[in-house]
Amino acid sequence: MISSYYFGAIALVLIGLYAVLVKKNLLKILIGLSIMETGVNLLLISIGYVSGRSAPILSEGIGPNQAVDPIPQALVLTAIVIGVATTAMALSVAIILYEKYGTLNIEEIRRLRG
Amino acid sequence: MSQVASLLIALPLISAFFVPVLKRIKQSLIMPYLILITLIQTGIAGWVFYEVYTTGKPIIIMAGGWRPPVGINLYIGPFAALFVLIIAVVSFITAVFSVKAVKVEPIDKYAMLFLLLMLGATGMIATGDIFNLFVFMEITAITAYALTAYNKTGEAAEASMKYIVLGGIGSSFFLIGVALLYGATGTLNMAHLAELSTSINPIVAQVGLALVIFGLAVEAELFPLNAWAPDAYQAAPHPITVMFSAFVVKAGLYAMARILYLLQKANGWSSVLRLVLIMATLTVIFAELSALRQRDVKRMIAYSSIGQIGLIALAFSLGTQAGVDAGVFHMLNHAIVKAMMFLGVGYVGITLGGTELEKFEGLGKRMPLTALALTIGAVSTVGVPLFNVFWSKFRIIVATLQAGFIWPAILVLFASMVEAVYYFRLVHTMWFSGSGERVKEGWIVIFLLLLAVLVVAIGIYPTPAWEIVKRAGSDIFAVANYVKNVPLMGVIQ
Repeated sequence: MISSYYFGAIALVLIGLYAVLVKKNLLKILIGLSIMETGVNLLLISIGYVSGRSAPILSEGIGPNQAVDPIPQALVLTAIVIGVATTAMALSVAIILYEKYGTLNIEEIRRLRG
Repeated sequence: MSQVASLLIALPLISAFFVPVLKRIKQSLIMPYLILITLIQTGIAGWVFYEVYTTGKPIIIMAGGWRPPVGINLYIGPFAALFVLIIAVVSFITAVFSVKAVKVEPIDKYAMLFLLLMLGATGMIATGDIFNLFVFMEITAITAYALTAYNKTGEAAEASMKYIVLGGIGSSFFLIGVALLYGATGTLNMAHLAELSTSINPIVAQVGLALVIFGLAVEAELFPLNAWAPDAYQAAPHPITVMFSAFVVKAGLYAMARILYLLQKANGWSSVLRLVLIMATLTVIFAELSALRQRDVKRMIAYSSIGQIGLIALAFSLGTQAGVDAGVFHMLNHAIVKAMMFLGVGYVGITLGGTELEKFEGLGKRMPLTALALTIGAVSTVGVPLFNVFWSKFRIIVATLQAGFIWPAILVLFASMVEAVYYFRLVHTMWFSGSGERVKEGWIVIFLLLLAVLVVAIGIYPTPAWEIVKRAGSDIFAVANYVKNVPLMGVIQ
């Protein structure tokens, strides 16, 4: 039986990939990319989960043996920031594209070819 | 003392943060500052190169004094030392070229992104940790997206958007691959991962490795994922094209080869290797055939560059020492030749206002020295003896045949013939058609001619370069040595 976290994470990645591959509107493609990144982050977090343990903050009553794996959380923190930076970059490029081409339909944005 | 080598990462980062301060003081100081920083970086990289090759020992930097696998380590072995030097030298040349080539847009942001691109590529080459590799890859990628869109034309934005979407998918896949490898082994350190690789479940190893390769293939411009590359090369500012071709791609290729060979003891490794072999051969064929029908010279050379990258990936996917050595040799030669070609084409582009094939008519009479450098580059890329690329191409073909792959060798040789057709068409256009007035050539010609001399020198005396390259190649291939050099915590040496 696959854990529902893994299933959900991979499903999110696939939904995002579907949106990127099929949608014609550029903004929908970028939304797809964001969904994909969310799925990846969820997968990373769920890899570090140990059933029944608490957040990895050392405080009263919680020792090192009662915490989940802290490494994926550091990884996800980094990956979230990177994802936001990429999205911001992509959105600013989308604004320029709309100014220059007057459309966000990717089938009409085709000046470079060959 | 060897901790000084961490300045390779620290210096571009700190100096990138000082660019906005400098802009407040005086706008005209930014370009000299960029040249100065890249010159210092070249000095440090030269020292590191000298140190690594004279002592024969890699420089290992442990971040914060934590021993790996707990801390992140940088591993500057023979390969990293060589390529960090190449990155620094090419950055210096492009920084000098940028003074002339980039004038239209906000220069401070350009300088910042330039330094961060250099930082990202250096970090990708030097790091010894796969998640750190991901972070440096994203630094490289995000600065590359921004620099592609730098000209703010519709074409530049379009090229950048293609790159962002493909790069976003690629980095997500890479991260899933890292997550799978981490879930299977519990480590992110490359040396530790290599030690644990025998015990990974074969399916996890295969899927994880394939996802990592797939993610890196976007940066490394391998076949199904390289559609962004020719557009980005065409639309990006000319100096940035030089950097893309000379080292951003190389960093992706190196990361791919490194991770591939780290896991060579894992079960099911050879089927991943076969996947890379097929992708590489297809890259060579498609890129060379697409280059044949290009009218824009910059785009044509971009396709040619992708074709050469396919050759390097082919050499890395053979799984033999000879193949890896030949691949590294081709990386070195390709960095020199393509830096020269894109520099020359970019220079023609800014002097004559465009890079269409018609602009190159009579270039031999108008700009003879640039045309000479371009001709040497073209002849060398095709693989004529007495030029450097001949030796590396020859070794790649021989290694492919030795490994028993007849068809890839035949297809790659066929692609080289196609390459000869379009390069000699370019040479013919430059020297034997059209006419024009002599145009005054600036000091950038000095760099072009220096690179051309290097091309011919390696072509005539390949042995010194080959000796260096063999040591760099064994750095990738002999993983047992790599693991032995990294002082892993809790592991008896």
